[in-house]
Amino acid sequence: MTIKTELMDSLIVAKKEFKVLFRKKWLVIPLFLFPIIMIVFFGYGMGGTVKNSPILIVNDDTGRASSSLIQEIGSYTPKYDGNPMFSVTYTKDMSQSEAESKINDGLYKGVLLIPHNYSDSIAKNESTSLTLLTDSSDTTTSQTISNFIRQLLSKTGSVILNIPNIYGNLEYLDFLTPGVIALTVFMGSVATTGSAIAGEKEDGTLIRMLMTPISKRSVILGKTIYQLILQLARAVVLILAAFLLVGFHMNGSWLLISLVLVIFTLGGVGMGIVMSSRVEDMESFFQLNMLITMPSMFVTGVFFPLSSVPDWMRYIAYCLPLTYAIDAMRTIMIKGQGLHAVSNDLIILTLFAIVTFTLGVHLFRREA
Amino acid sequence: MEPIIEVKNLVKVFHSRGRTITAVNDVSFDVFNGEIFGMIGPNGAGKSTTFSMLTTLLKPTSGSITVAGFDVQKQDDKIRPLIGIVPQKLSLYPLLTARENLEFMGNLYNVPKKVLEDKIDYYLKLVGLEASADRYTGGFSGGMKQRLSVIAAILHDPQILFWDEPSTGLDPQTRNVIWKLGRKFNEEGRTLVFTTHYMEEADNLCDRVAVMDSGKMVALDDPERLKETTGSTNLEEVFVHFTGEQVRD
Repeated sequence: MTIKTELMDSLIVAKKEFKVLFRKKWLVIPLFLFPIIMIVFFGYGMGGTVKNSPILIVNDDTGRASSSLIQEIGSYTPKYDGNPMFSVTYTKDMSQSEAESKINDGLYKGVLLIPHNYSDSIAKNESTSLTLLTDSSDTTTSQTISNFIRQLLSKTGSVILNIPNIYGNLEYLDFLTPGVIALTVFMGSVATTGSAIAGEKEDGTLIRMLMTPISKRSVILGKTIYQLILQLARAVVLILAAFLLVGFHMNGSWLLISLVLVIFTLGGVGMGIVMSSRVEDMESFFQLNMLITMPSMFVTGVFFPLSSVPDWMRYIAYCLPLTYAIDAMRTIMIKGQGLHAVSNDLIILTLFAIVTFTLGVHLFRREA
Repeated sequence: MEPIIEVKNLVKVFHSRGRTITAVNDVSFDVFNGEIFGMIGPNGAGKSTTFSMLTTLLKPTSGSITVAGFDVQKQDDKIRPLIGIVPQKLSLYPLLTARENLEFMGNLYNVPKKVLEDKIDYYLKLVGLEASADRYTGGFSGGMKQRLSVIAAILHDPQILFWDEPSTGLDPQTRNVIWKLGRKFNEEGRTLVFTTHYMEEADNLCDRVAVMDSGKMVALDDPERLKETTGSTNLEEVFVHFTGEQVRD
C-alpha cells in the first residue's frame, strides 16, 4: 500500500470524524465554551499565594540601610503561612538588561536593583530610587512582590520605587489563559480520541472499519488529523474569546504556539489511544480518564504558579507533560520569547508524543 | 468443484488470566467456489473464532488458511478487498445517515464515486430503505440496521461473503429479506459463508453444513445427507445428534 493511498484513506476517516462531531451539537458547544467559562470564572475568582519565590537582589551599595533592607526581605514570613515568602540570591554589578534576561529565562520572579549611593542618600535624607523588575507573566507572584517592597519602603520614606513593566500590564487572566489553553488541548485530545475509539469498540464500528482494506496506520492518522484541526481551532477560538471578553494580550508568535500545540496534541492523541486500548467501552474509558488526566489539572500549575507549591507537589508536576506545555505556552504568549526559550519544553513534549504514539500504534491492534 | 477457501489443521489458543483455552482445535475443511456454506454449533463451539480467522481479523495459532489463493497470515491485505463481511454486532455510525454510512464503507474500499452512488441507490431500493436513506441510523429498527449492514458489505463487489449470525434477533419478515439477498448474491456467482442458530435456515439455504462443537468440526456434508446418515427428520435432530443435549456455558 502506497503512502498516497494511506493518506487518502486517513482523510476519509478524518472527514467521517468531523461529520459525527458536528452531529453531536450538545458536545460541540461545551467543547468550545467550557474553557472560555473556565477563564472567565477562575480569572475573576481566584488569585493564589506566594512562597519561596526566587528573587535576586543586585546590591551595589555597601552601607547599613541597604543591608537592613535586604535582611527584612530575606526573613519575611507571611502571617498565614510558616514559609518565607522569598528565596533570595545576592549579587552585584549587574545591568538592568542582564537582570531582565534572567527573568526571561525564568530563573527569578523578581530582581531588585539597589544603586551604589543608596545608604548614603538615606543617611543624608536625600531622595533616592530603587528599581524592581518582576516577572509579570506570573501575575500573582509579581503583584505580591511589588506590593511587599512598596510597603517595606513606605517606612523608609523618600525612596522612589521604579517598577518597569517588562511584559506590559498583566493580570491573573494573562497568566491563566495560556495554561487553560494547554489544559484544554490536553484533556480534549486525550478524552475525545480515547472515548471515540472506546465508543467505536463498544458499537462494533471499529472492528468493522478494520475488516476493510484500510490500514491500521490510516485509521490512526485519520483520527490524528481530525484532532489536530479540532484542537488548533479550539485554541484559536479560546485566544480570541480571551481577547474579546477579558482583553487578553497575545505577545508571542502564533506559529510557535501552533508548533507547541501540534506536538502536544500528538502526545494527547497517543495517550488517548493507549488508554482506549485498555478498556472495552466508553464508560470505563471515562473512569480511567478521570484517574489519569484529572490530577494533571490540579498539580501542574494551570491556576497557580508552581513556585508557590510544596516540593513534593512540584516534583509530581515535573513528571507530567502538561507542565511543560503550560510553561512553553506562557513563555511564548506572555513573555513573547522565541524558539530557544522553549526548546527544553519542546524536547520533552516531543518525547512524550513519540512514546505515547509508538505505544498507541503497537497496542491498537487489528485483533481488537 | 474447486475450493475457494482451504483450511488445514487450524488451531487457535487463547491465553487469558492464566487459563489456556483452545477455541479451535485442529480443524480442516474446504469451501467450494460458488456454494452457500453454513456453520452451526452450540455457543462456544468455535464458530466465531473460525470466522474471525477466515476474515483476517484473528491470526491462527497454527495451521493455515488460504482465501482465494492468498494466505491469511501473509497476504491479508490481498484478501480484504475480495471479501464482504457482515459482523455479528451491528456496526453502523448512529450519527450518520444510511447513505453516509454506505458512502463511508464504499470509500474505505475505494469504490469510484459515481459507481458508488449508483450502487447505493440500487441497493437501498433493493432492501426497501430508499425512503430512509437520509435518516440517521441511530433511529433505525434492528431489521433496518441489519438490511443496511448487509448491503454495506456488497458495495465493493466482493467474491466471497461472510455473514456472522445475520438473522439473530430479527422478525421473520426481515429474516426472509436477508435470505433472499443471500440467494441473490449467491446466484450472481458469489460464495456465501455464514453462521446461524436457526436450523431451518441452514437446512433450506445451504449447499453444505458444517457442525462445530468444542472447537472441532464434527460433521460436514449437504443437509440431506446429514439427515440420512443420522436417521433424522430435520437438521435440529442432526445438530443434537452431533452435539448432545447438554447446555453450554
